Amino acid sequence: MNELRSTIYELLVKAQEAYGEQDAIRYKVKDAGEGGKKETKVRARTYTQLREDSERFSAALAGLGEQGKHIAVIGATSYGWITAYYGIVNGGSVAVPLDANLPAEDLCELIDRADVTALVYDETKANVAREAAARCPGLKHLIAMEETGVPGALSMRELMAGAPEGTGYEPKPEDLATIMFTSGTTGKSKGVMLTHRNLAENATALDMGYEPGLVIMTVLPIHHAYCLSMDILKGTSIGAVICINDSLLRVAKNIKLFEPNMILMVPLMVETLAKKLEETAFIPAPLIKAKVFGKQFHTVCSGGAYLNPAYIEQFKKYGITILQGYGMTECAPVISNNSNSANKAGSIGKCMPNCEVKIVDEEIWVKGTSVMQGYYKMPEETAQTLEDGWLKTGDLGYVDEDGFLFLTGRRKNLIITPNGENVSPEEIENKLGANRLIQEVLVRENEGVIEAEIFPDLEYASKKKVKDVPARLQEIIDTYNEAAPLYKRVFRLKVRDTEFEKNTTKKIKRF
Amino acid sequence: MKRNAERMELTMFDQLTDMIVNYVEVKKEDIRPESRFIEDLGFTSFDFMSLLGEAEDVLDVEINQEEAANIRTVQEAVDYLTKLV
Repeated sequence: MNELRSTIYELLVKAQEAYGEQDAIRYKVKDAGEGGKKETKVRARTYTQLREDSERFSAALAGLGEQGKHIAVIGATSYGWITAYYGIVNGGSVAVPLDANLPAEDLCELIDRADVTALVYDETKANVAREAAARCPGLKHLIAMEETGVPGALSMRELMAGAPEGTGYEPKPEDLATIMFTSGTTGKSKGVMLTHRNLAENATALDMGYEPGLVIMTVLPIHHAYCLSMDILKGTSIGAVICINDSLLRVAKNIKLFEPNMILMVPLMVETLAKKLEETAFIPAPLIKAKVFGKQFHTVCSGGAYLNPAYIEQFKKYGITILQGYGMTECAPVISNNSNSANKAGSIGKCMPNCEVKIVDEEIWVKGTSVMQGYYKMPEETAQTLEDGWLKTGDLGYVDEDGFLFLTGRRKNLIITPNGENVSPEEIENKLGANRLIQEVLVRENEGVIEAEIFPDLEYASKKKVKDVPARLQEIIDTYNEAAPLYKRVFRLKVRDTEFEKNTTKKIKRF
Repeated sequence: MKRNAERMELTMFDQLTDMIVNYVEVKKEDIRPESRFIEDLGFTSFDFMSLLGEAEDVLDVEINQEEAANIRTVQEAVDYLTKLV
């Protein structure tokens, strides 16, 4: 059961009141076991501990004079990260989650642009803390989640131990809670301003029918709006047990350890796991499912990029539902989502109950309580994106007769042909990409013609004994061209021998 | 000493190729030290991560994800893992 919450403070407090002694977060720790050898153990923190720790951190920040200021958080997903986030926003400050994969130089630029005065970091990011201390003039405090030996850094643990129980402050729905930088496949990243209402209502508006105690394993980067909103905020609001996957290396191992019911993924992960299911196709489906995911596993939420609907069908055979959703950081982030009660393959689901959608010249526009306040200190970009409260998503799509939203492409990637026709490269990419021989494809205009650059699935080629891969790729394009109108035809093929370069959320960099 | 080191490396190559064939459709004897995981063997980046996760279990080592991101060939993986064992 889900009730609408309008601040992140209300979301956490109500969850704590309802689920107090239940585990909120589970994570791995290495402890010396018998004989001094390090052993992996699972540690848990309850809803009450999470609330108390985060309120102490709010008080610690207030004690440093940081209440109401902009505070960056960087590091891998951890109990410390989540505590810091709730502590920052619920104590009346603004959290600025940073992408742990960016180089230190870029991070320093974001710290300056977001007017950050304190940086909370984990041990893996001590180098960033050192560099930021030297290069960012506005930065007053470094706070280490663990002890990292950076000169002048404060210890989060010690600050909390010496702080009062809380601040007594209650944020209002319209208070700014978070500035999130978009990873953007093109152009300079922008700081999306999201209020408590934007985030809390986005996380709680849709009742997906999950019961308290649902075990979620969080695998995506936590600075990613999709992960922060769906895994952490929504997870908290429904009383889920949120298990932290400590590394992308260990997804399979951690599934066995934590036995989750649900995982939020990007399509790349769905594809790898689909292969694991396929490779053992001679074993009965329930056994394969138990081996790969465990018996208790039932749901994958997929977002962040296009997912071939064939995977939805494949997973269904193993009793696993894939719920595809759609969103963008500017909408805190979920715009539409499939749910168990309303699920249509190939669509990106129904619009969230707190938002409305309209289609303007094929472009999806969204209005509602999830829509951002604007881009931080970027009035021109804000004016281009927001119009009378409507967020222009830049995505092209349509709504079918049952109210399901379908995506057909990205407006800003549109190819305008010499005769004025608009071609969405994604539409062609999705059609070509449906062929198993094609692992990745990018379609663009080059010297007046549409070209497709393809990274073939070499494993599949060898399995199917395809000898001349480029020739087979050309055949696939010829078949596509036969059915396509002239202006959408692909006239040039480039074959790559490496994967495309991706941004940190694993999307192909278009330019 | 030198012979021991060589033997250990051979074993590591063997162990790794045993694991690789579970991820991609390639014959063990076709895997060369210079084979690149993604370009030659057909790994996706997430497949590669999963392989390293399995190597952690099999060899009882701990792999640093950031260091592992620089590994491109089978030989580089052998060198890296040998160092950890």
